[in-house]
Amino acid sequence: MEHHIENRIYHVEVLPPKQDSEKLEADLERFASKFNRVMESGYCCCITDNAMGNLAFQGTEMIEELELEPKPGLVMIHLNTFHTKDDLDRILESCRELEIRQLLVISGDGSDRLPKLAPADVGATDVESVTSVELLRYIGREYPGVFELGVAFNPYEPEEHEFAKMERKLDAGASFIITQPVINSHPVVDKLLEKHPEVPVIVEAWMSKNISLLSEAVGYEVAEDPESFDPVQTLANLHRNYPKCGVYLSLLGFKKQYDRITGLWEQVQNEKVTS
Amino acid sequence: MKMVVCVKQVPGTHDAKIDPETKRIVREGIKAILNPFDTYALEEAVKIKERAGGEVIVMTMGPPRAEAVLREAISVGADAGILLSGRAFGGSDTWATSYALAKAIEKIGGVDLVLCGKQAIDGDTAQVGPGIAAQLGWAQATYVMEIPRWDNGTITTRRMHEDGWDLCEIKLPAVITVVKDINQPRVPTLKGRLAAQKLEIPVWSPQEIGAEEELIGLNGSPTRVVTTNPPPPRANDTLVLDGPPSQSAATLVRELRRRGLL
Repeated sequence: MEHHIENRIYHVEVLPPKQDSEKLEADLERFASKFNRVMESGYCCCITDNAMGNLAFQGTEMIEELELEPKPGLVMIHLNTFHTKDDLDRILESCRELEIRQLLVISGDGSDRLPKLAPADVGATDVESVTSVELLRYIGREYPGVFELGVAFNPYEPEEHEFAKMERKLDAGASFIITQPVINSHPVVDKLLEKHPEVPVIVEAWMSKNISLLSEAVGYEVAEDPESFDPVQTLANLHRNYPKCGVYLSLLGFKKQYDRITGLWEQVQNEKVTS
Repeated sequence: MKMVVCVKQVPGTHDAKIDPETKRIVREGIKAILNPFDTYALEEAVKIKERAGGEVIVMTMGPPRAEAVLREAISVGADAGILLSGRAFGGSDTWATSYALAKAIEKIGGVDLVLCGKQAIDGDTAQVGPGIAAQLGWAQATYVMEIPRWDNGTITTRRMHEDGWDLCEIKLPAVITVVKDINQPRVPTLKGRLAAQKLEIPVWSPQEIGAEEELIGLNGSPTRVVTTNPPPPRANDTLVLDGPPSQSAATLVRELRRRGLL
């Protein structure tokens, strides 16, 4: 992951089509177009896994069915705990075959239609339910050295609890961290960087103008003026405030925003050198 | 084993509205879904096929747009779909619907097992599965929570009831209705969804299944819906627990006990 940060490789989130899409062909075309654009830019395409509990097609099956060509090290698959054991193993095997190295391992958002991994499925004997910690241990044990495993950090959750969880995740094999969206900066993210200076951290930039959706996504009210919120300016501020971190772009607009962010990271770094 | 799964397209639970004039559920303009209970019947049929071989045919009766639920079923493992559609089917109650489905099952021929969800979430009658069995004169088991085995022309079912469960061995051909405890329905794969889009779904009219006109639609329905009312709104019963965690936990346990939930 250090390589991504050193080489200013953005992590661009791409959402696969939803299961109940009524215009699936068009959605698949749009997904393929976004994926290819991210690959051509040399950025890392991050494919979500039933984000917010919405049933969607899975990242690896999208790549396989659409015959997309992931560039080595430039695709990250989100993997949550809402799968059957068979599906989990199939996804991991597909990732290995497609040479997808980066996995973001998260507990995830469930839904009535989604199965949930049982502790026995991942060889956990000391817990009542599977979280990202048990999933990390399982992947590390079954695929030693194959994947680079990342985990999520939520600075909006009670701090002590979140840091304790992070210790367990790192102990279970996580080697990089992606935060929940941060607007400009966040004191708890600053603490995370102080506490774990050896772990690569990628801060998430909220690229949608819809700031109220962010509150919904993180589960806490994010006090930000919806009128004046400028995602690209906020991204630039993130680069200024967290120069040693990577950046994950959620809900990036491919029509207008994409061109505006290309070169922004370098530009901000150059500002600093000039000043 | 040759299996038929009978499914229904229903309005999404939260969208259901009742027309004050006709007293019927308004289906136009609202998102229609595959009846959730039917997904368990479908999953069970697909699982049996995966383990023992055979064929799964999914069938529904409804307007042309009901074809969508058949494609959804095919995307998770059904081999074929049949839509029973035609003006003469309109207004069928559960008995007339059972008759039409039974006639179609006879037309398919060689069916060993018919699976249905325990009920549809719009009508909540739980009558169509048993109705099909009655129309066909087949054995039936309702509220099935497990099918531990099937062999030599019989299946064994574990049926759920209020006091526990019973184990029934029934001779095939038979009809079963299943409860949601029976399995965890799979979600469609992209490959399955794309394949389902391409598959041709035959539409059978009353004439094609040999249904007698006086036994389908309003003519064939011995029951009439006189009135339909939405359930009363649930009381907004919120209990805020503040104070030290130990005190809140004790209050919560006491409250759950009081409500018979613990």
